[in-house]
Amino acid sequence: MELSDWELVQKCQAGEKDAFQELVSRYHQKIYVVLAGLLRNREDALEVAQEAFFRAYRKIKSFQGGSSFYTWLYRIAVNMAIDSQRRQKRNPLDFRETMDGLFEERNEVARDPFSDVHDRELREKLVSAINDLTPEHRAVIILRTVEGLSYKDIGEILGCSEGTVMSRLHYARKRLQEKLSAFL
Amino acid sequence: MRTCGDIRELLGVWLDGELSPRDAEGVRLHLQSCTQCNGELRQLERLHSSLKSLIESNGSRVAFEPFWRGVQERIAEKRPWHRGAVEWARSTLAGPGLAWAIPAVILVVLSVVSLNSVWKLLGQRNNFAAVESIDAHGRNVALLREDETKTTVIWLYQNQEGEDDSSGENTETSPSF
Repeated sequence: MELSDWELVQKCQAGEKDAFQELVSRYHQKIYVVLAGLLRNREDALEVAQEAFFRAYRKIKSFQGGSSFYTWLYRIAVNMAIDSQRRQKRNPLDFRETMDGLFEERNEVARDPFSDVHDRELREKLVSAINDLTPEHRAVIILRTVEGLSYKDIGEILGCSEGTVMSRLHYARKRLQEKLSAFL
Repeated sequence: MRTCGDIRELLGVWLDGELSPRDAEGVRLHLQSCTQCNGELRQLERLHSSLKSLIESNGSRVAFEPFWRGVQERIAEKRPWHRGAVEWARSTLAGPGLAWAIPAVILVVLSVVSLNSVWKLLGQRNNFAAVESIDAHGRNVALLREDETKTTVIWLYQNQEGEDDSSGENTETSPSF
């Protein structure tokens, strides 16, 4: 019978490293996808994801189960990504190049969901529009769209109210819609 | 009665399933009869699916073994104390909940500095030397106090007049240190 996250956390708190390994195997892919969306760079996403799990391991004794484990883990990872993006502002990556590099790789294995010309244009515009959002707006829209998290969970992760999540989502969608109106 | 503008403001929240049942029902009924708002809804749905595809295609599959090895290496690594302190400060101070803290600290520091300046200005205005004189059994003590440098000069002198009343009009004093 599969143990719950909370049961695994309790085993970690008792010093069982295997339990932590199980938690990492459950969430590493989800955390990585969200971080790749936020940071728009695979290497950075991998680096931050591993560091986030390391910090979670170090702090796990202080986790009391007030929220779910994944909300707590996302909070660590997403805040690290937002912090990292703020620091990168001074020396920004060429995100378009980074994203294009990834898509070319996908083409080789025929996994690009944006295969026709219209969709490729849409993808380019979408990448550009996402780049123009602030890290906080990008975070809410990714957590909602990719992970399907509730406003309450997103608020807990980002340390803001549900109302703030709602208004950030509304603003982010409006901005994306304005920039992509010809393609939607 | 809600207008199309009101409904469009709620469409995203409605799609997310975060509206109250009453508001959600209002949006659903409006959409049954409004083609324009339905067009807006389709736009939002397409935006959602395009964004999801983009993000998910960006995050390729990550093999667990090398990922876990990276985490283990970090756990085993002994980090210098100052790196830990920087990480702690960064994670504590950079959190959105404490976003107000840095401006608040700057404001407090500026207030203290400006108050100190005002205090000094006021202090300069009152910067005078006070002279007090005490006459005791014919021996005089003069105290000279200067606030800025916090200097006190004690000046002892004998009053000739007091010693010898017969000196008449002679009022000169001879200070002795």
